[in-house]
Amino acid sequence: MDSFFDKIAELFSTPEYIDSLLHGFLLTLQISYFAILIGVALGAVIALVQVAKKSKWTIIPKFIFSIYTTVIRGTPMALQLFIMFFVIFAIKGFPSIITAIIAFGLNSAAYTAEVIRGGILSVDRGQTEAGLALGLSRFTIFTKIVAPQAIKNIIPALGNEIITVIKETAIVSMVGMYDLNMAAKDIGSGQNMASYIVPMFVAALFYLATIYFITFIVKRIEKSLRKSDMRIEE
Amino acid sequence: MDNKETDLVIKNLRKTFGKNKVLNGIDFELKEGERVVVLGPSGSGKSTFLRCINWMEEPTSGSIILDGNEVTKKNIRWVRQNIGMVFQHFNLINNMTVMENLTLAPVKLKMMKQAVAEKRAMELLRHIGLPNKANAYPASLSGGQKQRVAIIRAMMLSPEVLLFDEPTSALDPESIEDVLELIRELANRGMTIMIVTHEMSFAKEIATRIVFIDKGKIIEEGTPDEFFEHPKTERVKEFLEKIL
Repeated sequence: MDSFFDKIAELFSTPEYIDSLLHGFLLTLQISYFAILIGVALGAVIALVQVAKKSKWTIIPKFIFSIYTTVIRGTPMALQLFIMFFVIFAIKGFPSIITAIIAFGLNSAAYTAEVIRGGILSVDRGQTEAGLALGLSRFTIFTKIVAPQAIKNIIPALGNEIITVIKETAIVSMVGMYDLNMAAKDIGSGQNMASYIVPMFVAALFYLATIYFITFIVKRIEKSLRKSDMRIEE
Repeated sequence: MDNKETDLVIKNLRKTFGKNKVLNGIDFELKEGERVVVLGPSGSGKSTFLRCINWMEEPTSGSIILDGNEVTKKNIRWVRQNIGMVFQHFNLINNMTVMENLTLAPVKLKMMKQAVAEKRAMELLRHIGLPNKANAYPASLSGGQKQRVAIIRAMMLSPEVLLFDEPTSALDPESIEDVLELIRELANRGMTIMIVTHEMSFAKEIATRIVFIDKGKIIEEGTPDEFFEHPKTERVKEFLEKIL
């Protein structure tokens, strides 16, 4: 046990190790952040098309998006990452962080689309009918009635998806990117500390703290959105 | 009655859901000030009939003419502003307070300014005895309170006709009377009403005309007295025997 604490002291007193960890952590956060942005934006578009009425304008996008979500959700993330790196963006000098962001963003979009679609569909049909019967436009009904209620259903599952993305970015170490996971492996390797336990333990704490923070934020948002469900007046 | 202006004319209305033919050619006229109660066994198409009038369900064929204008996709929003609807499950907007439920449509449709709408809403709320619920969310209201708010919400647009789709079917016995009392009051003020209900005694009391639907067709219609005391068809006699 003594050596464990010695190793911790060693890790935190060696500037290169700290530097490596923080660099790795920053890359993890960068990939996650932009991937989630793409995921939510593209996922929202896909979801809106999927729930839109069938018409000559939506039939082709609907078809394309349903193939898209099926393929993305039906194949491993690691394989999708490899295809992005070694097939689609196998261009010399193309920044690997962009490739990784696109790979995770496109992947997350498929899941997020399902989350948003489910959230919209779970709003009672009667809510839309109320708006229709009052002569409101489809746009008003969606923005004022359906979307605010859908968001309440979407937030918890979306929080889950964000957490998944952050953790899943660890596989970028498979294509040689220096993220938090890779940093831990590097610091623990023979040329450095020659012991994996401490750097990996510390990396785990970084992930855990990040996800704990996200969970906390999501819970706060959920709580503030739930105010109209309360049966007592405030 | 006959010299009054006709409000609503329905010709050969048909509605199918997939292979299921729900309405099989309904011809119907509604005149100003009439109170029509639509009766029929469950699955007869009476709710669908009502819901086709304001296109909650788009009719498969046939025409609906309101004040001389045929209802189409283009004028459907105008039609819905003139034909209010009250639903079985109230359908108050869950993410809005009672006040917001009442003012949303008149303000969005530019029929009233926000302040005017709120004043009108408050008057109506006071009238139904719920002024203290103005800032409450629907979740904190009882079923009967929700339905009464839903009725005044429809009244905010001053519609020509009010459709009630089983307005008391989801209520407990105590709330039913509160809701019926409000409908009765609207009736006494001359509101043109169509109502699908299972409350037979209320139907008898309030209706100027009873329409009986079975298998998607109007089988018999007449005054409550004719309908309940001297039914013409075997089908209605059989129906009345079962329920009375």
